[in-house]
Amino acid sequence: MIEIQEVSMVYPNGVNALKQVDMCVERGDFVFVVGESGAGKSTLIRLICREYLPSKGSIKIHGRDITRLRRWEVPMLRRNIGVVFQDFRLLNNRTVFENVAFAMQVIGSSGRDIRRRVPEALELVGLSDKAKMKPLELSGGEQQRVCLARAIVNQPLLIIADEPTGNLDPKTAMGIMDALKNINIRGTTVIMATHAKEIVDTMRQRVVVLGGGRIVRDERRGEYSHHGC
Amino acid sequence: MSVMSGGGNTLIMAVRNWVYYIKEAFSSIIRNGWMSFASIGVVTVTLFILGSFMLLNINVEHLTSEIKNQVEIIAYVDEGLVVDEVDKLRVSLIQMEKVEEVRFVSKQEALIRLQSQLGELVEGYSEDGRNPLRDSFEIRTIIPEDISEVAASLQAMPGIARVDYGTEVVEKLFRFTGAVQWIGLAFMIGLALTAMFLIANTIKLTVNARSREIMIMKYVGATEWFIRWPFLIEGVFLGTIGALIPVVILSYLYGQTVGWAKLNLYFLPLVSPEIVIEQMVRTLFVLGTFIGGVGSLISIRRFLKV
Repeated sequence: MIEIQEVSMVYPNGVNALKQVDMCVERGDFVFVVGESGAGKSTLIRLICREYLPSKGSIKIHGRDITRLRRWEVPMLRRNIGVVFQDFRLLNNRTVFENVAFAMQVIGSSGRDIRRRVPEALELVGLSDKAKMKPLELSGGEQQRVCLARAIVNQPLLIIADEPTGNLDPKTAMGIMDALKNINIRGTTVIMATHAKEIVDTMRQRVVVLGGGRIVRDERRGEYSHHGC
Repeated sequence: MSVMSGGGNTLIMAVRNWVYYIKEAFSSIIRNGWMSFASIGVVTVTLFILGSFMLLNINVEHLTSEIKNQVEIIAYVDEGLVVDEVDKLRVSLIQMEKVEEVRFVSKQEALIRLQSQLGELVEGYSEDGRNPLRDSFEIRTIIPEDISEVAASLQAMPGIARVDYGTEVVEKLFRFTGAVQWIGLAFMIGLALTAMFLIANTIKLTVNARSREIMIMKYVGATEWFIRWPFLIEGVFLGTIGALIPVVILSYLYGQTVGWAKLNLYFLPLVSPEIVIEQMVRTLFVLGTFIGGVGSLISIRRFLKV
């Protein structure tokens, strides 16, 4: 589903964030990307969302090289990627329902679809009873669930989560992981960048370890594997 | 499923999107009540000044063209010339390239004119032989600015005694009107840019306040124009309202001024309101919507980069 080939990334300030990275993610995979700060996790994630263009190499999603997309095609790519951030990024003046509905509204979904799919998404993350509350009335874990619901409501093929549990205590974090696992079981591919070793150990999923801008280890459920495609 | 899949009925989606844009634009105007008010105020003040200046400029232009059209050369004929020679002179004057009109004024005619202007003061001169005036030609040029050149060549012609065209006055007038027009133009451009800058800044505040929304919109795949339209509509609307106010006030004030001038300053030829106001309304509305629209596009540009 995602083929990253010989990708290097040098920022305009000269920082060489990724060096010749090869990585392949199959449809339905759950992949942790771990590594120290500055190892290149965020860069990798941003490249997949096409926030940046790599200095070298190609990134194919469903066979389509996203480094060659035209400007107007980028939004179409993003409709198939749900993004979850460490700092939630919710609209605090809107209700939970409205926050999730917003993601559908802005890509032109009909009111009928919105009324059908938003409750489904909220149910999947266990927030059906909080639909009318505002984000600031919720706990951190609940806010992150709203983000999850917002990320999945457009039924993307891929969820990208950048340190989604970074601001949460371990118990709440595990709840978020359960929700993510739930989403993954339904067929959505998940790529998650994280620092949290205990989560990675508990989940027993594929782990890609980045160090100094290179993949230093790619471990599939306890076994080492070739990280290329 | 393709990576590029979109979907839905295009027409229904377009209508739905436009309902969304307009709703967003107006709810933003209301939500940012004071900011919207300030934007309208800025455009209103700017366009008010601009409109006033425009009215002034149109009238100055009108006035100078009136004066320019009245500017003429008077060429006095040598006293020794006989009638035939004077007529030849007239023909050669008419044939000059830059001359539009030549009119012969006999010394008798000149005296009658003078008498009608000065009355009793020149009464004793009416008998033949006591007329101190000369025959002359009144000459208009096609372009008023050519007057000094034509006057110089007339001066050199045999049979012409003296040329008079109020040299300094005319040249000063031309220099002055030219300067007024250039200063006016520069002033107008400066004001329009200022207004655009101010409205861009005002909308930037709105955009800033909504930067999180814009970011989310980008992440979930809203198109750039989907993000832009509400701000563009907001800017254009603020600009239009900002133009409407000075249009109404200036139209009223100008009508009143022309009415007053007709009674009190009848020698001052002001351009009639119907002509001026139409031109002003068009200019101010075009400028208002342009300033608002461009201002909002400028302020949102930075946020669309990702």
